[in-house]
Amino acid sequence: MTSHTLIAFEAISKVYGNGTRALTDVSFSVARGVIHAICGENGAGKSTLMKILFGLEQPSAGHLRFDDGIVDIRSPAAAADLGIGMVHQHFTLVPSLTVAENIFLGQERRNGLFVDRLKTRQRVAELSRRFNLAVDPDARVSTLSVAAQQKVEILKALSRDIRLLILDEPTAVLSPPETEELFARLRHLRDEGLTILFISHKLREVRALASHVTVLRAGRVAGDADLAHLDNDAVSKLVMGASAAVRPARIVRTLGSPLVTLRGVSQSRGRPGERVEDIDLTVHASEIVGVAGVDGSGQQGLVALLSGRRTPFTGDIVFSGRAMNASSTRDWRAQGLAHLPADRLKDGSSATMSLVDNAIAGAHRKPAFRIGAFLNRRKMVETTKAMIAEFGVRCPGPEAPLSALSGGNAQKLIAAREFASQPKFLVADEPTRGIDVAAAAFLHDRIRSMAATGVGVLLVTSDLDELLALSDRVVVMFGGRIVARLENSDGLTPDRLGPYMLGLEETA
Amino acid sequence: MSRKALAPAIVTVAILALVVAVVMLPLALTTSDPAGVLQTFLFGPFRNLRYLGNIVEMATPTMLCGLAVAVMFRSGMFNLGVEGAFYLGGLATVAATLLLPMPWWAAAPVSLLIGSMVGSTVCILPGVMRAQFDTSELVTSLMLNFVALFVGLFILNYFLRDPTAGAMASYKIPVEAQLPRILPGTRIHLGTVLALLACIAGAIYLFRTRSGFDARLVGSNSAFAAHLGLPIRLVMMRSAAIGGLIAAAAGGIEMLGLYTRFSWQTLPGTGWVGVTVAILARDNPILIVPSALFFAYLQVGGDLVGRNFDVPIEGVGLINALVLLIATAAAIIRNPKLLQLVSGDNSATMSKNLPKAEAH
Amino acid sequence: MDPASIAEFIAVALRVSTPLILAGLGVLISTRAGVLNIGIEGMMLAGAFAGVVASAFTGSAPIGLLAAILTGAALGCLLAIMVHVAKADLILSGIAINIAAAAGTTLLLFLITGSKGVSSSLQSQVLPSIDIPVVEAVPLLGTAISGHHVLTYVALLGAPLLAVFLTRTPLGIRLRAVGEKPEAAAAAGINVKRYQFWALAASGAFGGLAGAFLSMGYVSWFAQNMTAGRGFIALAAEVMGNGSALGTMASAILLGTAETISITMQGGGIPSELVQTIPYVVPILALLLHATRRRRLLKRSAA
Repeated sequence: MTSHTLIAFEAISKVYGNGTRALTDVSFSVARGVIHAICGENGAGKSTLMKILFGLEQPSAGHLRFDDGIVDIRSPAAAADLGIGMVHQHFTLVPSLTVAENIFLGQERRNGLFVDRLKTRQRVAELSRRFNLAVDPDARVSTLSVAAQQKVEILKALSRDIRLLILDEPTAVLSPPETEELFARLRHLRDEGLTILFISHKLREVRALASHVTVLRAGRVAGDADLAHLDNDAVSKLVMGASAAVRPARIVRTLGSPLVTLRGVSQSRGRPGERVEDIDLTVHASEIVGVAGVDGSGQQGLVALLSGRRTPFTGDIVFSGRAMNASSTRDWRAQGLAHLPADRLKDGSSATMSLVDNAIAGAHRKPAFRIGAFLNRRKMVETTKAMIAEFGVRCPGPEAPLSALSGGNAQKLIAAREFASQPKFLVADEPTRGIDVAAAAFLHDRIRSMAATGVGVLLVTSDLDELLALSDRVVVMFGGRIVARLENSDGLTPDRLGPYMLGLEETA
Repeated sequence: MSRKALAPAIVTVAILALVVAVVMLPLALTTSDPAGVLQTFLFGPFRNLRYLGNIVEMATPTMLCGLAVAVMFRSGMFNLGVEGAFYLGGLATVAATLLLPMPWWAAAPVSLLIGSMVGSTVCILPGVMRAQFDTSELVTSLMLNFVALFVGLFILNYFLRDPTAGAMASYKIPVEAQLPRILPGTRIHLGTVLALLACIAGAIYLFRTRSGFDARLVGSNSAFAAHLGLPIRLVMMRSAAIGGLIAAAAGGIEMLGLYTRFSWQTLPGTGWVGVTVAILARDNPILIVPSALFFAYLQVGGDLVGRNFDVPIEGVGLINALVLLIATAAAIIRNPKLLQLVSGDNSATMSKNLPKAEAH
Repeated sequence: MDPASIAEFIAVALRVSTPLILAGLGVLISTRAGVLNIGIEGMMLAGAFAGVVASAFTGSAPIGLLAAILTGAALGCLLAIMVHVAKADLILSGIAINIAAAAGTTLLLFLITGSKGVSSSLQSQVLPSIDIPVVEAVPLLGTAISGHHVLTYVALLGAPLLAVFLTRTPLGIRLRAVGEKPEAAAAAGINVKRYQFWALAASGAFGGLAGAFLSMGYVSWFAQNMTAGRGFIALAAEVMGNGSALGTMASAILLGTAETISITMQGGGIPSELVQTIPYVVPILALLLHATRRRRLLKRSAA
């Protein structure tokens, strides 16, 4: 290690107690006084790596070198002592406290028993000036814009005399001009001698800001390069990775009539990932439309609109001939929606209820499962058993709680429930994320055979192999808009999707 | 296997025994005859039919209140209006028997129906406010309990008071409105049968009907209920209405079953016992029956001790409180080490702490 | 009403409001730390009892007061231990503390005095009243605000002091951070559980103070269940006060005044029972008003 290295990760591995392997043999180093980007999809291991650096997790093997000495960071306090500060993606600010109070929370400037407001204010002004981050020390955080809150968050980290600043997806919440402003500040901080670790999906930003990039994929270092020596194409390849999987033959289906149509749909409220702008999209019967995009590009907003969780602010949504502009989830389901939610534990199931309850929930309102006012328990159990058999759900029995199932088996049961409603339209949101290969393949077959029987499918996934294996058509979202519409012919590869997903190109 | 399944029940019983011992032993030791106190407390309630009857009588209202609490807690509502609903239900039932002209056969059922509807408002209002305005049902129901008390006292004082009764009390409840006694030698009345049926009906409602299923879904995971498109607000209000009706009916049944006049000057505390009963029964309507009988047994034992020795029956209230504390303490009652010790194998801890192996 | 009776009315209202203010501030500390203390009613009752017993046995009113504060604080600590160590439900544990205090005080009263109703056989002490120099001599003002019980002044001064504590001291600011956004507090190196523990202890101590006022000032004995739901009114006062110490005090005085009206209007035109509902109805209306206003604001921002 040369002395111009600030941190070095040396053969870091992390295996969680339940056997999940998050990081494998990760080694790279970060030079002093530079902006170093870390790229990778969700689940690639970025956040685990940052947690290790910030003292929230301990590595299972390997070690960290900081300032050329091996360090053992046991807690966030220990990280702070080393001079490591972090700006989290979800801010850790207290809304009702003022800017100054937030910056000095836990390390207040005192005057006897009281907070020395004068000194605090002076210190904030000093920090503001030095780092060129103008804030009003007396404003309540709840009154600030997101960009201003981020400034406070950065000042909070800087107030602790740090040498390394970690920024986790800092631009996810910012508009383009705000992003430019942030970048100017970060460059300024770098010039002051600070080392910055910048975590991002967005190639353009990495390009604009960082001098070095490390790419993580599936818990390993997939690439590590000096950006000065790479052209856009090479970086894009590095970030997106090469698609190694052999694509299974797609079954050619004849498209049916338009099933779900969105015309000029916008919804500007909510978190950034939930905002969509001017969406035009049609899903036909028997068609699988894949939605690609880096996390937070508006896919969540699209799913919320197509499941009745939110309604559009402007524009029209039609579902088999019926206007759905003001429809609730109940209306959507009555009209023939099935929905595999991305967060299957939070939205898709109840951990404490039995498999029978989970399998029949929703359908229990239909006459098929009732005898008069009562539930037909026997039919519920039989139907559940049939689902368990048909979908190959490994479980102790139909009365076991859902929490007794593995992720893949739980997802199979949820899919069995949703598919059993004989839907016309299926929204599959990350249908196989985090589940085993066999279960994923099974679900893929199921989704295909549903499409073959006339169901229209909207597939939202961050797994590009899955996207290309299933979709008839692909739309790419970026910044809440559809930026590309592509037929899924043999020419379509992850490499071709990359520039659209990263916001470098636009065709639609 | 069966030992493993029984482990939580065994732990619960052992803890209950411990709590009783912790309260009653020192209390007994303050008297000249500790052995006698303990013997009366533990075995007295079984000594004759009348005392056994007392257990059942006392378990009747708490069974119903516990059921009301269970129905509301199961749907995720922390509605504590049971206490006020019980009080107001009792008062309104008595008022109906006194003020409405009715044929003899209608007196009890019609009064109970009216009493239940009036009393249930104490639970319904917080439920509606929670569903419509997202106000804390906890605070509003606590307040409404006292509103019910004072409105009740007003009605008692101005419309029902018998000036010849001496103390503040209503006119006598007409004999034809009183619930029939069903077991000679005891005061066990028809209400007990109603309470048992209600618990069975409650179990059927929660586990065998559509709207009970709705309620459990909303209570166990409201995001899941929203994903399924369930009408969450309606489910909340319905649960509050059912809970309120049961609790208020309990008050009416208590009045028509055991009392000759309405004379409650304060909230009787039955609703609070109902909370404890429901928590000990883990909000399971069938388990509420033994749970209510257990607390009634303690109460009768306490009464007997209070009558025969110089020991106040409030020790029983202390036991109730400790049981409530411990029954909600996950770290105690669901302690994996404790369960493992009782069940004799270590799979109890394994299954709790480790995610299951991925099965293909 | 003539000026003299108005002054008299203000004096009574302040007396009636005192336990509500003290307990309301106790609830405020707990909610600002994110751990609603619904056991405040039981902590008041236990404090009232401990004050009477300790002062009777030592013959010292200050020791009685200290015992009341410590008893309330101990129950607050118990609640914190139940929640953080035994992982029990906060609300249910609070209810259990209320039940335990009601039963426990009656039980101990009987064991000590042989009576289950009141403590009149105990020679318990009363805390002094304080005449404010100069003001006491002013005719009407003196009647209204001088000569009150020492704890009335503690309550009136306690609210602004607590407001200063919460907004101007490091501990107070951290306490609010803990209650409002625990993950932010933890990220700043603050031990969330420890702050919640002390907040519940302080909350209990305020409950104990309120109880001491009831049994060592408002009256000079302990009676079974003498708090009679005042802890719950205090809870409502805190909700109405919207998380501010001065707002809580104002709400407590408003509710105390309503209670005073219900006492002084006995025999007046309106049935006293109905007047007695006012302290419970007002908080519900306040909550409704707050909720509808919030909803209207939401609608407007959506349009």
